[in-house]
Amino acid sequence: MTQKAKIITDIEIKRMLYRLGHQVLEKNLNSSEIVLIGIQTRGAYIAQRLKKIIQEIDGIDIPLGVLDITLYRDDLTTIGPKPIVKETKIAFDIKGKTVILIDDVLFTGRTVRAALDEIMDFGRPKKVELLVLIDRGHRELPIRADFVGKNIPTAEGEMVEVKLQEIDNKEEVIIAEK
Amino acid sequence: MEKWSKKHLLGIKDLSRREIDIILELSASFKEISKREVKKVPALRGKTIVNIFFENSTRTRMSFELAAKRLSADVVNFQSSASSLNKGETIVDTIKTLEAYHPDIMVIRISSPAALYLLQKYTKASIVNCGDGKNEHPTQALLDMFTVKEKLGTLENLNVLIVGDVLHSRVARSNIFGFQKYGAKITVCGPTTMIPYDFENMGVDITYDFDTAIKKADVIIMLRIQNERLKSSFFPTIREYVDKFSLTEERYKLRKKNALILHPGPVNWDVEISSALKEKVHPLILEQAENGLAVRMGVLYLVGTEKRSL
Amino acid sequence: MKFIIKNANIVNFDSITKADILIENTKIKRIAQKIEGKEKTINADGKFIFPGIIDLHAHLRIPGDGQAEDLLSGSKAAAKGGITTLFCMPNTTPSVDNEGLVKWIIEESEKINIAKIIPIAAITKDREGKTLTEYNALKNAGCLAVSDDGCSVADSLIFRRALEYAKMTGLLVISHCEDPSLSAGGAMREGFISSKYGISAIASISESIIVYRDVAIAQYLDVPIHIAHISTKNSLEIIRKAKKEGASVTAETCPHYFSFTTEDIEKHKFDSNFKVNPPLGDMEDIKEIKKALKDGTIDCIATDHAPHSYASKEQPFETAPFGFIGFETLFSSSYTALVKGNILTLEQLSEKLSYNPAKITGLKGYGEIKEGNFADLIIVDLEKKWSPSQENIVSKSKNTPFLGKELQGVVEYTINNGNIVFENEDIR
Repeated sequence: MTQKAKIITDIEIKRMLYRLGHQVLEKNLNSSEIVLIGIQTRGAYIAQRLKKIIQEIDGIDIPLGVLDITLYRDDLTTIGPKPIVKETKIAFDIKGKTVILIDDVLFTGRTVRAALDEIMDFGRPKKVELLVLIDRGHRELPIRADFVGKNIPTAEGEMVEVKLQEIDNKEEVIIAEK
Repeated sequence: MEKWSKKHLLGIKDLSRREIDIILELSASFKEISKREVKKVPALRGKTIVNIFFENSTRTRMSFELAAKRLSADVVNFQSSASSLNKGETIVDTIKTLEAYHPDIMVIRISSPAALYLLQKYTKASIVNCGDGKNEHPTQALLDMFTVKEKLGTLENLNVLIVGDVLHSRVARSNIFGFQKYGAKITVCGPTTMIPYDFENMGVDITYDFDTAIKKADVIIMLRIQNERLKSSFFPTIREYVDKFSLTEERYKLRKKNALILHPGPVNWDVEISSALKEKVHPLILEQAENGLAVRMGVLYLVGTEKRSL
Repeated sequence: MKFIIKNANIVNFDSITKADILIENTKIKRIAQKIEGKEKTINADGKFIFPGIIDLHAHLRIPGDGQAEDLLSGSKAAAKGGITTLFCMPNTTPSVDNEGLVKWIIEESEKINIAKIIPIAAITKDREGKTLTEYNALKNAGCLAVSDDGCSVADSLIFRRALEYAKMTGLLVISHCEDPSLSAGGAMREGFISSKYGISAIASISESIIVYRDVAIAQYLDVPIHIAHISTKNSLEIIRKAKKEGASVTAETCPHYFSFTTEDIEKHKFDSNFKVNPPLGDMEDIKEIKKALKDGTIDCIATDHAPHSYASKEQPFETAPFGFIGFETLFSSSYTALVKGNILTLEQLSEKLSYNPAKITGLKGYGEIKEGNFADLIIVDLEKKWSPSQENIVSKSKNTPFLGKELQGVVEYTINNGNIVFENEDIR
């Protein structure tokens, strides 16, 4: 895999997250109904940051959960190396809540499909809204995001990679080629 | 992403240390599922699992059945006592017949040790051993190791003491192979008649002195004593067995402070363990059962999602 | 029939000589340099000629289990293996414990006329170890030996009576040595591998304890005894000592006891083709058995040919029946392990396979290639190799631990009573 271009810098990521935080609050006036659920791995870190940002803006402590969708994937038996199943932790009742489902990149939509199924197994939320840092197109399912950091049109063979300080020791979004 | 290349789980002796690590890590994630409102994930949706029991077992079968169901697999049970085995159908014929239903996993319990090496020739399914005679009971050892890792935080270089009927115990054998991969020093302790011939070659210490051995142990695995052993003169009376090898209150006091007491269950109270200790030791033994479910989910997930050409 | 074998390297127990052999009807008429004639000639240039092999220990499963083997398939397999005379054990259903069955087997095998089959009758009725069979009548019907093979005679007094009574009738008692209380339920030799896999095991002493008892009784009575299929080094010391003291004890082992160990069972993932009774031992046993073959403690090599139907061997190791076939691999497995392995000379191999078995059972006119003897002989290519497979095995039963193993020394002709009963297609 070769890196083609760095398209977003650390400072841009920061600004995008603040904007997204504002947008979430703007759309959901009753902030006590909001819960954040991040999809493992990077979605979980973005969710953590958003929780802090929302606390900064609105002064409220929003429940935060993490979701590993591995067991809900539709390609479990066709992928080669076995993905390790990471922690799923939703330590609150999602019934009647507005779930902000968070991931780093929205691509085919299959991950979101899996996440929606899994969330439904935890309870019946009032509403689920999707927040992604990057939407790179090429959907294979009728899914769209409610909040998007940035739309980046890409070619099929390209990869969009979000690097976060917490696990990658750097902060950027790059386009790479397979 | 981690590579998993084993089609079957036949025994701990066939696993690498890294493979055990993967199973244990996965099992930790699976433990959480059983605490959810909807205790089910679609990981093995559309897969068929056959539990084949040529030997009776309610508890292990239930645990495997539940593990399969929580992964959304379809499960059917085959119990030989209620089937054609008594009418002269051979074990191999049974496997061939069940193979006709194209199962993805066969969970097999059988009284013949090492029989699964033979049976794997007759099926395309993955085989999970849930007890083959006196040979191995790999998921029991995995759940024991999972429990130890969860409680003690490590599996490295432990002193493991296995007490009782080692001769007839597949649990003992699997645990020896498992803990040894993590550098454990293993001591087996039981009546001389119940220590297998030439067992020193397994790299274990052998002792008949429970009182001394218990003082050093980090993990104490108490094995089940089957009542029918009495008939074959392995020991003269229960009283004498209890005297030497039961975990009594006095012996319990000799243990290291954080030592774990494990038992594959069900416990014969006042034989292997004094019932006076029930409140102290039973909770962990029950947790073992809970962990067993998680470990079995982990194992079924690993072998069941294996990419396979038909 | 009359024919000449040219340029033969004749391997007897005491010599190897190069000569031509003239065979007329059932006998060896003449052995000399350059026999000329118009008769059919077999050129054995570069090949070796051994006396026909005499197998003291075989199971033909007749009467009772024609699925596993029968007299015809057994005879053909024997001929392919160079065996011209075989003794079949009486652990059949029903047991061969009366003159009627003995006569029937002899008559039927004579009709087939491929191998000489001499039934061994049971020591006791139904092989139950309780009452003696009619040794006199059995002898008259054609028996040369009795055995309760498959079991020992548990009661020492009954066994004593058997040895005493057999002496009078001139029958040889062949003892299967196994203490059933020590071996019950076992599937392999007790040792590290049985302990590691939790396989029910048989202690080596279950054999040697009974070897000791049976030899002691025979020595006490000063009567002959033959010990079947020795598998463990402990038994050898007992026999060696008794022989030294002048007892008429003889003993046999089988190729698998000097070819395989318990480690092969593990290596072959508990394949039931490696299950046999007495069970395979360890490297130390192999070493001692080879030594005993060399020093004469063990007199002969027998097959313990034990065919089983396909279904009965298609079982887990612990529940599968004991035993496997041995006729077709006897010569090549012995030659490979013992002669190529520098344990025995060709002459000694000839002694263990033919001369001694004839001597032990009192078979006159067999076991040696000499003028006037019966024309039982085999022509062998000692350089040629083969590998037993499901396809090339002639016996009805295909179970043998030698499957897929490379063996050296191939029997190309088997001549029985002056008839060519096996002729390798490659040569013809």
